[in-house]
Amino acid sequence: MTAVATSRIGATSNGKTWHAQYPELGTEPVPIEPYISPEYFALERERIFRKAWLNVGREEEIPKPGDYLVKDLPACGTSILIVRGKDGRIRAFHNVCSHRSNKLMWNRGGSCQMFACKFHGWTYGLEGQLIFVPDEESFFDLKKGELGLTPVTTDTWEGFIFINLDPQPKESLKEYLGEIGETLKGYPFAEYSATCYSWTTELRANWKILKDAFQEAYHVAFLHKRSLPDSFTSKSNPFAHGTDCKLYPRHRKMSVYGNMEHRPTPVEEVAFQFGSLIIRNDFSMDRLPAGVNPTRNPSWALDLNVIFPNFFVDVSDGTYFTYNMWPLAVDRTLWEVRAYYPKAQSAGQRFSQEYSKVIFRDVIMEDCSTLEQTQSVLASGAKTHFVLQDQELLIRHDHKVHEEFVGFYKKQNKKNKKGVTANV
Amino acid sequence: MSERLLPESFQDLDPFATAWSLATERERNRQRLSSTMEEIQAFYNALLPRMEAVVAYLNQFPLDSMPADAQQLLYLTLSLAEVAPAVELFKQPSVADGYDAARFVPAHE
Repeated sequence: MTAVATSRIGATSNGKTWHAQYPELGTEPVPIEPYISPEYFALERERIFRKAWLNVGREEEIPKPGDYLVKDLPACGTSILIVRGKDGRIRAFHNVCSHRSNKLMWNRGGSCQMFACKFHGWTYGLEGQLIFVPDEESFFDLKKGELGLTPVTTDTWEGFIFINLDPQPKESLKEYLGEIGETLKGYPFAEYSATCYSWTTELRANWKILKDAFQEAYHVAFLHKRSLPDSFTSKSNPFAHGTDCKLYPRHRKMSVYGNMEHRPTPVEEVAFQFGSLIIRNDFSMDRLPAGVNPTRNPSWALDLNVIFPNFFVDVSDGTYFTYNMWPLAVDRTLWEVRAYYPKAQSAGQRFSQEYSKVIFRDVIMEDCSTLEQTQSVLASGAKTHFVLQDQELLIRHDHKVHEEFVGFYKKQNKKNKKGVTANV
Repeated sequence: MSERLLPESFQDLDPFATAWSLATERERNRQRLSSTMEEIQAFYNALLPRMEAVVAYLNQFPLDSMPADAQQLLYLTLSLAEVAPAVELFKQPSVADGYDAARFVPAHE
């Protein structure tokens, strides 16, 4: 779709224009099976999480040589060690000792000059090379040069660190991100990443239940009626219709409507004087690259950027937040939520950031209950499909991309042709 | 008499400092969830009208090197941010129909 096409959508169109732009996606209900099927989940682990580029952190987390992060990826059966070398380069390795495969580093991160295994003391340098083996003489033909840590492909985009577990990734990170990466070029990620607040939680829900909930705004008027009574809805836009959307081959984005007539609460009024709020009528187009709020709609709150498979970068003016959904089992997900702000220069700004993050967190607490309640009845068999409206186009697109990676229904359709009954 | 925690010009807020001048989000959230609405409302009512003066006072110090009493006052304002949704949106200490806050764990506070 071109920018010309998207600009026809308008702020609060009721004309079901989003699906009309992508007729190839159809309008049929989408199956629930991928959210409850252990077989589907097993395929996701192999064909998505071992193939796709995965965001594991930001460069600011490891600014100096020797700084490292540990990222456990239970869905992929591994843990990753991400380290900045003496040469300033970021490298990633399986966090697995070459001796008898003990997990090398057990903490979440830190700074060091070398990595020593707790089990038998095998020690590795920052570039992954094996540098010391206790009682080395007792081994047989030990080729230390070949026993470094197993490298994992890594690259960065706009300061975000990604890894790819495929020993030979089919595409570079730049190719994988494609156009959506370009649209965020110029967004002040470095400036806004000075302060990071984050939370983690383990939810009893399939990871796609989480994804779905955060790529539509239809629920805002209902689920968030107490916390967001008039921020993303208004008389003219009661159902929080987005102002724009765009689908890419794997990724997608949506511009979320912001009600500029929003009436701040008393504390919000104080916070508002010092910036950092998502709903603000003084947001500046000048600070935002052309790819953010691409229609330049004055009633704009933020853009959702959904990067397949499990990374959301939601950008606003003065703040952005990210989600990473890490499946643990077909019905369990580790969810990382981060809110980023520029460095507070004064107590007023610090207060404003705190207010902004507390509201954000409390809104998410409303979402989290719903996610688990949904999952708790999903396997009931009462329903086999989700019914989607026009503004839930992004969820429909996600189903298509999942199927392209997983190939679950392709396989079933083949079985069907052979006379086996498929349940789709 | 107990030692004062807040700067002299904000002595009226000192009775709230022991409970609400807390350094981390987790502590402030726990305090909110373990307080009654009456306690939360009393704190809110006392601090909100003083916020303009409080922020003006605090803004004269660099954020990373505040005098100890000013730092306590800053923490007190962060608790106002914490309780604001309870008073202004949910009308109860916890998020209505919300998730168990103890399961939503701050990693960077």
